[in-house]
Amino acid sequence: MEFDWNQAQQEFRTTVQNFLATHLPENWESIAHGPGSASQSEFSKQFCAQLAAAGLLVPHWPEQWGGRNADAWSAFILAEEMWAAGEPRGGQYMNVNWIGPTLMRFGTPEQQERYIPPMAQGQTLWCQGFSEPEAGSDLASLRTKAQREGDRFCINGQKIWTSYAGEAETCFLLARTGTGKKSISIFLVPMDTPGITVVEIPSLIGEGDIHEVFFENVMVPASAMLGEEGQAWDIVRTALSLERVGIPRFALASRMLRRAINLLQQQLRFHQGAMEQAARAQAACEAARLFSYEIIDQRQKGIIAGPEASVARVATVNAERSVAEFVVEHLPETLAGGDPLLLAHHQRGIVAGIASGAAEIQLNLIATQLLQLPREPR
Amino acid sequence: MDFAPNADQIALNSALDKLASKFKSAPTEFRQFTLTDAELRRELEQGGFFDAAQIPELGPVSAAMLVERLARLPYTAEVALSMLVHPHLGGDWARPLAIVENGRPGRFVAEAATLIMLDGDQVGICAPEPDSVEAVDSLFAYPMGRLKQPPRYQPLPAADADNIRKWIRIALAAEAAGLLQAALDAATEHLSIRKQFGRPLGSFQAVQHRMAECTVLARGVRLLAIKAAWTGAAGDAAIAALHAQESAARVVYDLHQFVGAMGMTLEFPMHLWTYRLKALLSELNGRGGQAQAVAVHCFQ
Repeated sequence: MEFDWNQAQQEFRTTVQNFLATHLPENWESIAHGPGSASQSEFSKQFCAQLAAAGLLVPHWPEQWGGRNADAWSAFILAEEMWAAGEPRGGQYMNVNWIGPTLMRFGTPEQQERYIPPMAQGQTLWCQGFSEPEAGSDLASLRTKAQREGDRFCINGQKIWTSYAGEAETCFLLARTGTGKKSISIFLVPMDTPGITVVEIPSLIGEGDIHEVFFENVMVPASAMLGEEGQAWDIVRTALSLERVGIPRFALASRMLRRAINLLQQQLRFHQGAMEQAARAQAACEAARLFSYEIIDQRQKGIIAGPEASVARVATVNAERSVAEFVVEHLPETLAGGDPLLLAHHQRGIVAGIASGAAEIQLNLIATQLLQLPREPR
Repeated sequence: MDFAPNADQIALNSALDKLASKFKSAPTEFRQFTLTDAELRRELEQGGFFDAAQIPELGPVSAAMLVERLARLPYTAEVALSMLVHPHLGGDWARPLAIVENGRPGRFVAEAATLIMLDGDQVGICAPEPDSVEAVDSLFAYPMGRLKQPPRYQPLPAADADNIRKWIRIALAAEAAGLLQAALDAATEHLSIRKQFGRPLGSFQAVQHRMAECTVLARGVRLLAIKAAWTGAAGDAAIAALHAQESAARVVYDLHQFVGAMGMTLEFPMHLWTYRLKALLSELNGRGGQAQAVAVHCFQ
C-alpha cells in the first residue's frame, strides 16, 4: 500500500501546475464564471490549443491520435489540476475524457478522421444530447426519434439540460430508432444542421450552461450514426467506464474550502462552530479523494470498477455538499459579489448530485450491486 | 498511490483470518451485553500479531488492517491500542492497554497491564496499582472498568503526548471501520431475509438508500484510517477519527432502525458492533475534539 506519489507523478503534476501558472491570464478569476459561457468557450479554444502544443491536452490518448499513451494516473493528475484551477478547458474536458476515446472505440474511420483531430488540437466543443423533459434518470424512456429515410435519418424531438449547446459544434445525440427500450442509437450531429434550435435556460448553475435543444426534421446522413443501430447503451456504458470516476470535484471543493477558511481566519471569524464544520467538510473531501484514487488505481491495474464508482460518486456529492453548506453559512457575502471563485465553485458544486446521473440512482446501484439487496419491484 | 496490500500483508491478513475463524460467530445461547474470550488475545499474542507494526515490510498499515479485521468479530479484545499505540509508548510497558480519559470508566480498564491517562491536555502512562481498578457493568459492548482512585504518574512532554494521541486516533478509526463494516453486514443479511408487506425489507428503496449512504461512510472510514496509519500524519489521524465518529453516530441509528425490535434483543448480535461504536463516540473529546485537532493540524 502506498499513499504518496512517485517521482514521475510529482514531476508531471508540477509540469501541469507550471503550465497553469504561466498560461492562465491575470483576469482568469473573472472569466471563470461559467464553463458554458461564450467568453469561457472562446478562452478554452485558445488555452486548449496551447495545452495541445505542450502535449498536455490528450497525453493519455494513443499516439495515433496525438497522445503519448500516458497512464491512468497522468490523466487523472491532469484532470485534478485542471478542475482545481476552475477548469480552463471549459466544455472540452468532455472531449478529452470520453468523447474522443469513445469515437476511437466505436467510430468509423471517416468519423474518427473528421472529429478526433480537432479534439486533439483543442479546437472543438461538443454537447451531449441525452436528457429530455420526460427522460432524466429514466433515460431509456427518451422520445427523440430518428426515422430512417433512405440513406438518411430524420430527427425530431427535444433535449434538455444540454450543457454547452450554445457553443458546441457537434452533438453526441441519443435518439430512438425503433420501438422498445433497447432501440436507441447514437448520432454525431453538427449543430449547424438546419432544424436545430438552441435555447439557453437561465439557471443557478452559471451562464451558458444548460439549454433546450429542439430538433425539427433534422436530416443527417446514415453515416452520422455511431456504432450499430440500437447500440447506444453499450456505447454509453463504455463511455461511462472510460470516464471512470468523472470530474475530480474533491480537488476544487477542498481548495475552495481552504480558501474559505483563509478568509475567515484573516477576518478573525473562524470560531469554534465554523472550525468544527470545516473539519467535517475536510474529512468528507478527503474520503472522496481516496475513493477516487482507489478507482484510478484499479483502472491502472486493468480492473473494471463496478459499483465502487457509485460509492465514489456519492462520497463526492457529500464532499461538495459539506463545502457548499459551509460557505453558505459562514461566508454568504462571497456568494453576493464577494468572491468570483467561491461563487463559481458553488454554482458548479450544486449540480454534483444531479449532473451525470442523480445521486439517488447511485444509491440504488450501491444497494443492489454492492450490497446485493433485492431489487425493488417495478 | 497503490491501494493493494503487498504480498506480506496479504499473508498476514490470511493468517489472521484463519485464527479469527473460530471467533466469527457468537454462541447460540449468547444473551450478554458483551462478548469476550481470553483465548483470542492469547492466540494473537502467540502468533506474534501484536508486533506487526514493528516489522518494516508490514508497518502500521498492516496493524491497522489487522485491527479493522478483528473489530468485525463478535468477540472483542484489546487489540487496537496494543497494535497501534503500544509501539509509541517508549519504555517497556506491558500489554493489554487501556485509556482512562478524564477519570471516566474506559474500555478494558479492569484487565489492563498499562494505563494511558488522558487528563485534559496531559497524557501519562502508568501501571495500575493492585486493587485500584474494578469492572463496571455498562451498556457498551466492551468490558468496561474504572479506577477506584486516580493514580500518580508523570505527565509526558507535549511532543510525546501529541504522538500518543495521534496513534490513539488512528487506532480508534481502524477499530470503528471494522465495527461499521460488521454492523452493515449484519444489517444487510437481516434485510435480505426479513419480509414484511410481502417482500424483503431490503427491497424497499428508502431502506436501500440509507444502507447505501451508510456503506459510503463506512468505507470512507476504512480508507482514511489506513491512509493515516500509512502517513502517520497528525492531520490524517484527526480526519480519520473525526470521520469515524461522525459516521458511527449516523450509522448506528440507521442500522438499528433496520433491525427493529429484533435488534433490541441481546440475542441478536447487532449491539456487539453498534454499542461498541457508541463507546467510541465519546473518546478523545468526541467529534468536537477531533474537529479541533483537524483544525490545529490542517488549517493553520
